[in-house]
Amino acid sequence: MWGLAAILWLAGGGALAASERPAPDPKAGQAAYGRSCARCHGAAGKGDGVDAKRFYPRPRDLTLGVYKFRSTASGTPPTDEDLFQTIHRGLPGTNMPDWQQLDEATRWRLVDYLKSLSPVFEHTPPSPVTMPPDPGAKRADLEKGQAVYQQLGCAACHGASGRANGMSAAGLVDDWGMPIRPADFTQGWTFRGGAAPRDIALRLITGIDGAGMPSYAEAVSGEDIWHLAYYVASLQEPPAWHMIAHPLRVSGSLPASLDDPRWGQAERTDLRLRNVVQPAGEWAHPPTVRAIRMQAVYNEDTIAFRLTWDDPTQEAAESPAPDALALVLKPADTQGDVVTLQAWPYAGAPRLDLCYWSAAGVSGETLAAEFDGVRSAPRWPATRTAASSYDDGRWQVLLQRPLQPQAPEGAAAITAGAFTSIAFAVWDGGNADARAVSPWVELSLRDPTRPSGGH
Amino acid sequence: MTRCSRIAPALIAILVAIGCGSSKPQDASATTEGQAASSAPAQAAQASAGQPAATGSASIQGTVRLNGTAPAAEKVKMDADPVCQQQHASPVYTEDVVADANGGLKHVFVYVKEGAKGPFPVPTQPVVLNQQGCWYTPRVLGIQVNQPFEIVNSDGTLHNINAKPGVNPPFNIAQPVKGMKTTKKFTKPEIGVTFKCNVHPWMRAFAGVVEHPFFGVSGADGAFTIAGLPAGTYVIEAWHEQYGTKTQTISVGDGETTSLEFTFTAQ
Repeated sequence: MWGLAAILWLAGGGALAASERPAPDPKAGQAAYGRSCARCHGAAGKGDGVDAKRFYPRPRDLTLGVYKFRSTASGTPPTDEDLFQTIHRGLPGTNMPDWQQLDEATRWRLVDYLKSLSPVFEHTPPSPVTMPPDPGAKRADLEKGQAVYQQLGCAACHGASGRANGMSAAGLVDDWGMPIRPADFTQGWTFRGGAAPRDIALRLITGIDGAGMPSYAEAVSGEDIWHLAYYVASLQEPPAWHMIAHPLRVSGSLPASLDDPRWGQAERTDLRLRNVVQPAGEWAHPPTVRAIRMQAVYNEDTIAFRLTWDDPTQEAAESPAPDALALVLKPADTQGDVVTLQAWPYAGAPRLDLCYWSAAGVSGETLAAEFDGVRSAPRWPATRTAASSYDDGRWQVLLQRPLQPQAPEGAAAITAGAFTSIAFAVWDGGNADARAVSPWVELSLRDPTRPSGGH
Repeated sequence: MTRCSRIAPALIAILVAIGCGSSKPQDASATTEGQAASSAPAQAAQASAGQPAATGSASIQGTVRLNGTAPAAEKVKMDADPVCQQQHASPVYTEDVVADANGGLKHVFVYVKEGAKGPFPVPTQPVVLNQQGCWYTPRVLGIQVNQPFEIVNSDGTLHNINAKPGVNPPFNIAQPVKGMKTTKKFTKPEIGVTFKCNVHPWMRAFAGVVEHPFFGVSGADGAFTIAGLPAGTYVIEAWHEQYGTKTQTISVGDGETTSLEFTFTAQ
């Protein structure tokens, strides 16, 4: 089979890019599908593989022939190249990886096989859209783009500042009636179809079939599409996925406000959050809080954290489920390892050092119920919330605690020259069944007794 | 609690002015349905050639009834979008099932399923689906194959029209600006084409696409009329968004008005 494909390829001359595509081989395509795709997309392609329910977004039901990421008009199937691109690049922000470990011939055979799963490809030809000319970053007018953003009503779903907190965001469902969330434009790493201005312009023109995103091809001029695409791209806040976080050492008092200028000098560490998977799976409760940004400043005895995260809805004191956060430290003498907070606390789990913050200002006792069994864990004695704010879909909270608490017993000490593991759990009261947790990162305070590295 | 960012009314006026200048509803270059505009002259010529040959003088006057109690309508929560809310002085209720005190069932599409002999001229007059007060008007409409289908946004807020046919090509288009019109067409017969708006998820409309002009939609009292039929025997189908279909066979004579009753049962 492989030899034949190679011969056909050679016979084709290999001069044109198109001739690199192997002759269709349904059996090889099906076999590759079974090996690489069926676990999520299901043996018959119905999007019902064994892992499917755990994921948001859901794996496509390939038998419907409805594809989100295309270069074709709304309602028409993708081109072969579109399908190849999705297999080649994967879909960032989802569980669809790129499949570059498969050789190119196999990827093309998968394209052929996917097309065989839906009759759409037989009766509807793809209708590729024409991209208006790209003015380039220098000539794109971001102010114009912002005006177009308002004119087109983008904020209805994506929010005025692009933080996925528009008035319709919470009620969105996809074409199968399942809850779905709009993109947070500050998080370019979650843009499934790519975060470059061209990708964004293409999404505007084609829409995202099956999701709520309509096509704006007939609603906006080609020029404005590009101004808007560059504007949306400009809203991204590139993440700093550090494994080791370096708090900023200051002398004297710590920042007492969220806008203290010293926060501008403090290193940023972004932590990606994953929802704790419920029995119903993520389908029922798509994640709303996708990442948290940590900055820390310390002096000789105290450390302050400024924590920033996007949450589309503010649930405060009057809410039955106020927005909340747990800052979790792993004490240095923790017996056994807690690899992830996803499952913690489980029976016999090591005790961790927890600090709760709640938008309702309640004590940890109320929220402790959220983390079953957490009441026995040590809680910081002297942690306090110095400040908090909610503005247009974004929380900022300022917490302070002693570096070396004297009580209770078992509280984590943050010691210069040693790593202290830190992680977060975040609750969005507007999405009460979804607790989001981060991985561990290491806090590293510079040891003043050792010479600096000279950097 | 939940922040809602809305555009001030004065700004809307400005945006409408800008938007109308830059929007090109007829320039459907990227869609397969874009031929609607270009084929319009041909349709006009056909229609002006004379009276349709395949019609007659028989008519059916009927009623659709609901046996049992309709599920209670629910108040529609529109407060997330003030543009929607402000246009309704009184509460708006869901219309999944609308029946009057006598059991007359509204919003039933009744049409000739079998027996119509064409060809039938395609009307050039568009069938209009209006979005006003974040509500589709009409909720249920009939349209002929290839007849222009005009979607209008009369609201100063973003609507998207997410059409989910099964036979015709689907589409999902944005109409962000008040006064925007988009013309589409359906090239194949299909009953129960669904339209929804993702921005305002309570909005629903349905179309019956047929090859002939023999259809009607029941009013508030459940009454419908199908007029202009040639004498003959027809299979008539009634379609309701919740209750599905019922069919009956009926014979009509020239100049006669025949009555017909459909009954759906509340589930």
